[in-house]
Amino acid sequence: MATAEIRFSSARMNGRRTAQPRRPAVLRLLQAERSEEIFPLLLEEIIALGYPRALVMDVNLDSGEVTPAAAMKWPQAQLEKFSSALWMQDHPLIGVLHAARPEVLGKGALYSRPLYVHPILYSNRNLCWEADRIRTASCLAVQNFQREKRVRLEDQVCSTCEMRAYAAAVVVELPKGHTEQRVAELGELIDLANRYLSRLFKVEHYYNRMRDMEITIAQMGTVMQSMADPVILTDTQHRVIMQNKAAERFFRVPDEMTEGLVRAVEFNNLLFSAALSSMLVSGSDSHRDLTLVDAIEGEEMLFEAVSAPTYGPDGIQLGTVTVMRDVTDLRRADQELRLNYERLSEAEEVVRQDRDRLNLIIENVGDPIVVCDGKAKIVLVDPLAQELFGTETDVVRDTVQFQNQTKLTAFIDAFTASFNDRETAPLRLFNPALRQEIEYDARSGKIFGERGQVSYTVTVLRDLTALRRVEQLKVERRMLEIEKFAATGRLAATIAHEVNNPMEAIKNAIYLLASAIPENASPVYNILKSETERVARIVRQMLGLYRNTEQVKPVNVNTIIEDTLLLLNRQLQRANVEVQTELEVLPDAVIAADQIRQVLSNLVINARDAMPNGGKLRIRSRHIPGYDDLHGWVRILIADTGSGIPPEMIRSIFEPFVTTKGERGTGLGLWIVKGIIQNHAGKLSVKSRVGHGTTFKIDLPVVKL
Amino acid sequence: MSADRKYRVLVVDDEAAVLLTYQLILERQGYEVLACGTSVQAIAAVQNERFDVVLCDYSLEEQHTGFEVISAARRLDPEVPAALLTGYATKETADEAANRGIGVMFKPIEIEEFLSTTSNMVRRNNESKQEGGEKAKPAPQNEHQG
Repeated sequence: MATAEIRFSSARMNGRRTAQPRRPAVLRLLQAERSEEIFPLLLEEIIALGYPRALVMDVNLDSGEVTPAAAMKWPQAQLEKFSSALWMQDHPLIGVLHAARPEVLGKGALYSRPLYVHPILYSNRNLCWEADRIRTASCLAVQNFQREKRVRLEDQVCSTCEMRAYAAAVVVELPKGHTEQRVAELGELIDLANRYLSRLFKVEHYYNRMRDMEITIAQMGTVMQSMADPVILTDTQHRVIMQNKAAERFFRVPDEMTEGLVRAVEFNNLLFSAALSSMLVSGSDSHRDLTLVDAIEGEEMLFEAVSAPTYGPDGIQLGTVTVMRDVTDLRRADQELRLNYERLSEAEEVVRQDRDRLNLIIENVGDPIVVCDGKAKIVLVDPLAQELFGTETDVVRDTVQFQNQTKLTAFIDAFTASFNDRETAPLRLFNPALRQEIEYDARSGKIFGERGQVSYTVTVLRDLTALRRVEQLKVERRMLEIEKFAATGRLAATIAHEVNNPMEAIKNAIYLLASAIPENASPVYNILKSETERVARIVRQMLGLYRNTEQVKPVNVNTIIEDTLLLLNRQLQRANVEVQTELEVLPDAVIAADQIRQVLSNLVINARDAMPNGGKLRIRSRHIPGYDDLHGWVRILIADTGSGIPPEMIRSIFEPFVTTKGERGTGLGLWIVKGIIQNHAGKLSVKSRVGHGTTFKIDLPVVKL
Repeated sequence: MSADRKYRVLVVDDEAAVLLTYQLILERQGYEVLACGTSVQAIAAVQNERFDVVLCDYSLEEQHTGFEVISAARRLDPEVPAALLTGYATKETADEAANRGIGVMFKPIEIEEFLSTTSNMVRRNNESKQEGGEKAKPAPQNEHQG
């Protein structure tokens, strides 16, 4: 806080003024415009009143020193006598100062002559402006004036305006024969001067304070401008009172701006105003995130605005100061961090699920699984592998497990060191449950560590014996079936062959007897004839299977289908059977065309017989490519809309002498069909629904030539 | 050969009953038939006589085959039409028959087929002979029509 100093012009010290018509002292003192002019004027007035000499002792309220400030007619050498300090209680001058009342010091007390000592103190009759404004009576000037309390020179700072008071003492040498009245007049003059001095002092105090404030404001302004963050001072209506350069970048419209940026600035202002309002409403929370557009760079930036209300000295809110922090990078980093965290959590969840799934899989594989570390040491085994190798933690193993483990370790060691990522090898291990050595198919894979080194190997052991046994059983069963079929066929053929010649004779004999049969015997003769023909058909069918009169060669199955249908066309028309064909482009199949023709004609005739009242016969063919380019199948579908085959019969229709046609059928058609398809390494199947129809499916293998 | 002579058929089968019925059927059809029960008999016959057609069972007594009989017949008359009557023929047999221009009829043989095949063979042979300047009467008709 500024301190008013009592200054005086040294030029005037001890100076004489040219004699002029004297004006009353009051008016002369009023001429003073500055506080330092008061003491010289006062000393001149005192001398003018006829006192020989006078001086003013100034009290430094900080140091307590009391030193001469101005003197008139007083020899310089004598002034030192009066220098003292407030703590020197015995000093006559100090006593007067503490008592705060004028006193006449007798001759010799301090000086060779009697002295009039008049202490003066900053005092005013009226409250200072500040005390007046805040309606308090505790104004130091008034207190000093009214002398309500004992004046304490150590405590001369105003509690309201913080103004530091001044204290001084006017010392006047009294001439011989001084009267009390004249001394009283002198006192009044000094009080008057003090009153002027106090007023000037107060004005100067306020002036100094204003100057200090200006400096402070300038300093604050510099601080504000030098801040990199935007700082904005707004009034209660959110109008900008003041903003720093950083803020102008966003909120002030420079002249040379493009229209787009002007709009950006307007938008920024709008956003800012809205944020201020919301902060004001919410009261406690004075943080807001704001996205503003940089009017110069045109970039979007994210700010955190922190606002605080500004209050006047009277406690009334004047406005808001807002400091904005550029958190673009911070928020981006924060966002990235959060994103990364989320990703991490997701990944963790995935890993957890994977692990659970993996555990589940391992538990349910049904094959022994062994996980080894990079040094071929077992770290994980499933229950099945435990039987073979013992648990991963057990040190004590029985000899069988130890032997198995040695074999496994040898294999894993070699695999770990090899360059292969995976390997399959046979491994003979002793199975304690089966009490025998079993060949396993050991399939191993590597799990690599970060630096590409083998961290783990996973080995799945498949019991090949079981697999092979199943495989062999399947083959055996199939062989047996084929053998059975062939044996049946051979037997049938042998029987047929043996029956054939007698049959031929009987048939011929019946033919020859035709004309010799009496009329009454003709029904019997007809039975004889038709039944013989039936036996002949059976024999013919049976022998037909073995009449391999044709070589196999590449044939398009579609032409065989077309030939067969052409041959049977009239029969089908007569039976009122509508034929639909969907024949796709087929590769040639290596087949015996005659036999396949017989297959087709047997199936077509069966279809016709299944539809006594007519119906639809659909024949489709298509090529089914195999897993490689080379192999594949030709598929033939023959479907009728006939009576269907009862479920209880469907298993036996391919057996010999099974027929749905009663007397008319030989029961050999489908048996022959099956035989022929089997001879071609083909597949034959049937689906049927009673009342809806039957579909035969034939797959013949084709090989790309 | 005279124009109105009967066509001569040689039938060979080791089953007597079958042989007899073939003979009777062919005779009823108007052929002159020589029936032989063994290959020996048949070969002896073809060495002395000419036939218009030879119908011969494939498997004869003691591993003899119809091929032997037909070969013997063709030594005298290389153009003579011939057919094997058989219940069962291997692929080799069928191939050989085809190569040598010998027909195959599978037993049981439909009588209509039997007669039409026989008459076709006779007629075809006759026509090729006619081209060589000889006149032949048409082949006998089947007794049963349709």
